[in-house]
Amino acid sequence: MCSITKEAVFDAISTVIDPEVGFNLVEMGLIYDAIIDENCNVHVIMTLSTQGCPLHQMITTWVKEAVERMEDVGEVEVEVVWEPAWNISMAHDNVKKALGGM
Amino acid sequence: MKAVSSDFAPPLRLISPFFSYGVIFYLLSMLALLFFEPTFSYAQMNVAGWVHLFLLGFVMMIIFGAMAQLIPVVLEAGHAVVDVYYVIFPLLLVGASLMVFGFWVMPAMLPYGGLLVLVAMIIFAVENIATLKKTTIRTLTVETVAWSNGYLLLGILTGFAIALGLSGDLGIDVTLMLKAHVYAVLGGYVVLTIIGLSLILIPMFSLAHGFEETAINRAFKLVITGVAIVFAGALFAQEWLMYIGYAVNTIGMFFYIWQIYIIAKLTVRKEMDIWAKSMIFAFGSLILSIVLGLVYFMSGKEGILHASVWFLLLGFISSMITGHLYKIVPFLVWFERFAPLVGKKKVPMLHEMYSKEGASMMFWFTVTGVVLGGLGLLFENDILFKGGASFLFAGAIFLFITMRKMLAYGK
Repeated sequence: MCSITKEAVFDAISTVIDPEVGFNLVEMGLIYDAIIDENCNVHVIMTLSTQGCPLHQMITTWVKEAVERMEDVGEVEVEVVWEPAWNISMAHDNVKKALGGM
Repeated sequence: MKAVSSDFAPPLRLISPFFSYGVIFYLLSMLALLFFEPTFSYAQMNVAGWVHLFLLGFVMMIIFGAMAQLIPVVLEAGHAVVDVYYVIFPLLLVGASLMVFGFWVMPAMLPYGGLLVLVAMIIFAVENIATLKKTTIRTLTVETVAWSNGYLLLGILTGFAIALGLSGDLGIDVTLMLKAHVYAVLGGYVVLTIIGLSLILIPMFSLAHGFEETAINRAFKLVITGVAIVFAGALFAQEWLMYIGYAVNTIGMFFYIWQIYIIAKLTVRKEMDIWAKSMIFAFGSLILSIVLGLVYFMSGKEGILHASVWFLLLGFISSMITGHLYKIVPFLVWFERFAPLVGKKKVPMLHEMYSKEGASMMFWFTVTGVVLGGLGLLFENDILFKGGASFLFAGAIFLFITMRKMLAYGK
């Protein structure tokens, strides 16, 4: 039985910051889900704010490395999806406020 | 999963000379403006020299550097041979310098400078076309890259013919060829490329999503068609055909502005950073340039045409480029020097990598300079024009300093 929770995975990913906007990926609303199986293998489902992002692969690597730093974690996979497309309503209130969307 | 562009990103040392020297050419262009009068003819050699200093040395130099980075983003494929940019840079640098020297001092140098620029641009266009062949993606932006490169080749071939004509080596009608050359390069390459890139970059930096793209589709098609019609009209001396082309292009630009308005309405980021301010000024200048162009066709007054071209070059094109430099250059430097440190130590945010005060000074000096200089041309007033040129030169100094600091950040 694995003791890693989805919240703990999100906490780990929240150390990854988008250098352009200055917010972490979790508060940006870019992390859609984290599926953890009984062997503590983690499958992260995320998106990016734009499809042409030049940091695409680098950001997914940072996410993978952030989760891999968790204790007792197994294999980590990061999947980038474009549906549903990201929009500002997915971000936390502090991000919306800082970007001027509120 | 979507293909990724960061794997294909060229190294900073390959791209940074284009930006460094592009900004130096911009500084020299603004300095040279101090020695011009607000009344002139486009056929004057010193005017042609300034236009090449600005368009080849600054605009093309920066666009080439930006394309080295952005082509993989747009095409989602690596460059066919990215190392050709090491060859393109010195050819363009020496070629543009020789051409300006030729226009200003020694016309016999024009074919030599022109030949170097021709070779640089052929290499650039061929490499782009080879890269295009690597991708199966056929978005409208990709199609635009293909068309703009075709126009670039036409523009540079007509330009080289003019260089031979001016030095007496080729018997051609220089005036007609000049119109074809200007339209192919400025409308067919520069404007089309800026439209294509802005459709990628503006939504990316403003975080605008889910917008309708009908207007930009029409804009692309109309500008591509309009440039072809004007080019044919100039080549075959059919003025009526050129007027049809101008009209088609103007409608195309209206659709482009409409598309930008749609994107602006959906913009998430409301912060007024140097990029956002530059975009507002750029599009305001573009609208003013089009309005002045229409007034010129009704009035026929040369000063209005000069002011229209001024706002297009120094208001729209310059601000689009300088505004984006404050986004692209910090990213390139960050990607090279700080990305490997993520997770290991604290890394700077992109907006921390340039002086806000320096950028702000650059912006306001430039805006004041463009407005004053435009009024100087409009009313053929030397004091206003010289005042505008002085402000532009001061703005260019701030651009130069902030650019040097950005490129040296974290070194």
